[in-house]
Amino acid sequence: MAAMLKVNDIHVYYGKIHAVKGVSFEVNEGEIVSLIGANGAGKSTILKTVSGLMHPKSGTIEFMGKDIAHMEPNKIVTKGLVHVPEGRRVFAHMSVMENIEMGAYILGKAPEEAVEDVFTRFPRLKERRKQEAGTLSGGEQQMLAMARALMSKPKLIMMDEPSMGLSPILVEQIFSIIYELRESGVTILLVEQNANKALKITDRAYVLETGKITLSGTGRELLEKEEVKKAYLGG
Amino acid sequence: MSVFTTIIKQLINGLQSGSIYALVALGYSMVYGIIMLLNFAHGDVIMVGAYIAWMMMARFAANPIIALIAAVIGCTVLGVLIEKAAYKPLRQSPRISLLITAIGVSYFLENVAQLVFGANAHVIPTFIDDTPIQLGQIAIPTTALITVIVAGISMVALNVLVKKTRMGKAMRAVSEDAGAAQLMGININNTISFTFAVGSALAGIGSVLYCCAYPKATPTMGSMLGLKAFVAAVLGGIGSIPGAMAGGFAIGIAEALVSSAGLSEWKDGVVFAILIVVLLVKPTGLMGRPMTEKV
Repeated sequence: MAAMLKVNDIHVYYGKIHAVKGVSFEVNEGEIVSLIGANGAGKSTILKTVSGLMHPKSGTIEFMGKDIAHMEPNKIVTKGLVHVPEGRRVFAHMSVMENIEMGAYILGKAPEEAVEDVFTRFPRLKERRKQEAGTLSGGEQQMLAMARALMSKPKLIMMDEPSMGLSPILVEQIFSIIYELRESGVTILLVEQNANKALKITDRAYVLETGKITLSGTGRELLEKEEVKKAYLGG
Repeated sequence: MSVFTTIIKQLINGLQSGSIYALVALGYSMVYGIIMLLNFAHGDVIMVGAYIAWMMMARFAANPIIALIAAVIGCTVLGVLIEKAAYKPLRQSPRISLLITAIGVSYFLENVAQLVFGANAHVIPTFIDDTPIQLGQIAIPTTALITVIVAGISMVALNVLVKKTRMGKAMRAVSEDAGAAQLMGININNTISFTFAVGSALAGIGSVLYCCAYPKATPTMGSMLGLKAFVAAVLGGIGSIPGAMAGGFAIGIAEALVSSAGLSEWKDGVVFAILIVVLLVKPTGLMGRPMTEKV
């Protein structure tokens, strides 16, 4: 099976700081792949580079066979690759419905069945569709950010720390939604600090340390590894 | 004339100049909202609009509606050109560079106008039959009525544009969070150009309405008008569209009230005193959002 997303030896800098040092990984169609690692390991930088918000100094990024390493983010979205950024980044002063419509920006008008679909997945958002997004709770904002991303009918969704700052019940809910999304055919690249939860739903995962991949394997394999347990699973 | 009719008369004057300030303030506010730039060249776009109106009517004997359309188109094109030529190359630069550039563009436009048209004022022929409309004891000048109506229609249209259209929503999204907007597939550069186009079109309408009240074009006419509109935008809360409208009317009415108290030479001073008070007491203005630095 050809990889849907193929990241090959990318180097990314913030000015002079070398944040990502030769990272390579793949995501195959239908998988949930996780990048785990501590703060500052370069996980978010990798997602930003894949979605075009940042550009690698060297290396290639192929999505469905096309090099997207130097494409602008608004073009990458049209290829079917969306990024749910860290901290949700919903448009706080726009209504929930308007946020959802912005998710379908590339399609012109938001297709009704797509709206129906996200409202079925996230009934809370339907109740609150006229509210300003900034008045939602953290969990609801995360759901809105995910709903917004789904509106453009993506092939691959990248999610950056979807469980951050949420209560345990909500974390549970967000992870089960991610799992359901995969069941409905969306491929997922997940960045998480909550390694325990992420590894449990993940097909394959990569462990990042200061800009480099140090370990990789299936979710189950990594859950069993001593060094992973010690560093990320609190045991 | 009773005190009551004097006050009403001054209020009408205030609404007339206020609607012009509001139209100009909208351009300031929208541009600030989207790229955090105080576009000090905005006032000079109005000056160019006034010269276009003068040329159309005095040179080509065009009808006022055609002059209005020409001024709007001219200002829109100029606004977009300024953005592309002067501001776009500085997208990644510190904000102070943008601000200095805006002041530079302002002087550039004023000096080009002086070079082309000379320093003397060009009188624009009167184009509205100014027989006041009598409402009981109160006479409403036709120009005031037309100004308020045209400005009102423009603002309603702007509201519809910003609230209902895809481009308008994209504009709001970019001004809230440009990065997230890009991730939705929104083209930031097009959206910024569109914002300049809309702001400058409103300035074009403003310039013709201004010429109804003060029918002459001079190279520096835009600077005071622009500054007062800037005060209006700050008073309303810079970045806020309803704020710019409210601020514009408030400044217009404040000026008129000062004049009606017999202190018309204090008019400009009062406007800038308002700016100082707003900056001291409530820097975010009446409807502005609290400033948060984006990280």
